[in-house]
Parts: sequence; structure tokens; C-alpha cells
Amino acid sequence: MHFKVRAAAKEDCKEISRMIMELAVYENMADQVKTSHEDLKRDGFSPNPFYECLIAEVPDEHKTKDGHCLAGRSTCGHVSVSGQRQPGYTVVGYALYFYTYSTWKGRSVYMEDLYVMPDFRGKGIGTGLMAKVAQVGVEKQCVRLQLSVLEWNKPSLDFYIAKGAEDLTAKEGWHFLRFHGQTLDTLAKEAPKD
Amino acid sequence: MDRFKLRKAEPKDVPDLLRLIKELAKYEDMEDQVILTEKDLLEDGFGDHPFYHCLVAEDPSEQSNNNNGPVVIGFAMYYFTYDPWIGKLLYLEDFFVMKEYRGFGIGSEILKLLSHMAVKSRCSSMHFIVAEGNQASIEFYKRRGAADLSLEEGWRLFKIDKSSLLKMSSGPEE
Repeated sequence: MHFKVRAAAKEDCKEISRMIMELAVYENMADQVKTSHEDLKRDGFSPNPFYECLIAEVPDEHKTKDGHCLAGRSTCGHVSVSGQRQPGYTVVGYALYFYTYSTWKGRSVYMEDLYVMPDFRGKGIGTGLMAKVAQVGVEKQCVRLQLSVLEWNKPSLDFYIAKGAEDLTAKEGWHFLRFHGQTLDTLAKEAPKD
Repeated sequence: MDRFKLRKAEPKDVPDLLRLIKELAKYEDMEDQVILTEKDLLEDGFGDHPFYHCLVAEDPSEQSNNNNGPVVIGFAMYYFTYDPWIGKLLYLEDFFVMKEYRGFGIGSEILKLLSHMAVKSRCSSMHFIVAEGNQASIEFYKRRGAADLSLEEGWRLFKIDKSSLLKMSSGPEE
């Protein structure tokens, strides 16, 4: 199946938001999604973006039964003002990533989300998206790419391991921790005053 | 110890930062993995596109080897990341206080200041990783309300090294 990978434009945020929710449903965590497409637009397409995003598109003749298409409309094929969207293409996947830093090794890229709609899996689109993230990382002189996977998600574990991923939680015992919501606020209130 | 000072790192702190980074790596039994140089730290933290931000803790009563200035005795390196479900996050990459300065509340004060900065920048969460063998640190964080997402939700951290990245990025295009 022919597909294209390109940088997301702010007009893609509604589609990205839709797919973020689909991925959260797949991970059994849909109730945790709080961001809107407006949040995504503000946070990814301002002068100081907090993430970058790649989109995978297929030609319209491959669009899904419910007609998934650019900007969530049921008819496809219009050209955006930015000129970046391809007429006659349907958005079917995305990769969202940002740059991090290792005090041991330097610049890194972290792939936060990689998602391809179920109807379009097994056709190399996920590999294509990830290859582009890898390319961007290498161009920015990153020494590694990191990501996280849920331990029960065997298809994803197999996919990443086949590409050379090493499980650092198993190998070196790294755990993810966080201060969230109320616990973060409580700490913040006790901060030393300027 | 209540006379220690917390401030934003400046380019002149880079030699101290590298010293403390190596001390932290030694504490984690991984000192041979530090390949970063002072030049990298300077360019990556204080250049056109900073990849990190840093706080340092100073003990003004100490004298450094070269002059009478304060000695940097702790640091926290952080940057902003993104969770598509909840938005901006503050990610704490490294957090270290020199051994002889522990137990005086310096680490606690650094953590509180980081939390304050996170909330002020509209972050919903502060994330970090800890090695499961590092019980002292895990207890430090858990006492203050941290949740272990690897245990609670099953998240595992993976890395892909540069050689595999190069292989991936030069693969056939569709």
C-alpha cells in the first residue's frame, strides 16, 4: 500500500487528537486523556513547541469505511491554505516525539506515541513513521531514541525489539515515577520563596 | 546548612556540573557510561537551542580550590516533555546532592522548587526514573507522594542505540 509520511501541520490537530484517543482506548486508559485538539495546537505549533509530530497518510481510495479523512470531515480531497496537506489523502497514523537529554550521553529523542489505525497495520506504515523519527533524531545528532511500552503489549514489544530496542527496565531495573496532581501541588506550595 | 543557596545554572557552572554528573554516575555504579564533555554541556545547555535546564545548590561558606567563591554541592537537571493525554510535563533527568551534604534538607528544597516551577509552567506532572536497586532514592520520593508507574501500570523503558537508528533511518522508502 502506498503511503506518505510528513511533518504534521496545525490543521492536523483534530485528526491527531482522534488518534490519541484511539491509542488510549487500545491501552485501556481512555479516561486519562484530558487534552483537546486546541491544547495540541497551542503546545505543538507555537514559537516554543513542546513536541514534534509526523503524520502517515494513504490515498483516499484506501480510506476507512467511516471515511476518516483530513480534519475529520467526511469528504476528502481539499487543499489546506498551508499547502502542506495532500489533496486526496487520509491520515491513518502518527508519531509524536520530543528531544530529551542524558547527562551521560547527551542529546536523545523520545518517541512518546506511535500509532497506526487497526485497518492499516501490517503494511509497513509504523516502520515508515519510526524510520522518519530515527532520521530526524540522527540529523539532530541524537545518540539514542527512547520509548516506553506497557508490559502486556506483546505486539508492540515484538515490533520494537525487532528494531533493536533494549528493555532497560528488565536489564537495568529502571522504573518510571511521577508526582502528579495533588502531590505535585503540595510540594510546590512548600517551595522556598524568591 | 540553612545558608545554602539555590539558583539557575550559568555557563561558568559547567565544570562543576560535569563533576557532579560523574559523582552521580559513580553512585549508580555506571561511571564508565558518562561520555559527555564540558563542551557538550555548554553547547547543549546554553546555546541557541537548550536541551536542558539546570538548578544548582551552593554552600557559600566553603571556599573553592581556585578562588574564594562558593562551592556547588548539588544540582538538578530537567527539561519539558509532553504527554498527549495531559499536556506539558517537567522531566527530572538528574538530581544529586554530594554525600557530605545529605540529610540537611537540601534535596527536599530542590524538589519543592522544581515542583513550584512545574506548576508555574502549567505542567500537570513531574516525571523521572529511578533504578529499582536505589532504595534510598525510591523511599525519598515515595515519602513525598511519588507513584511508581512501572509497578502500578506496567510501563517499561526501552532504548534504541545510534547504530540501530542509522539502520532504521536508511531503510527502503515506500
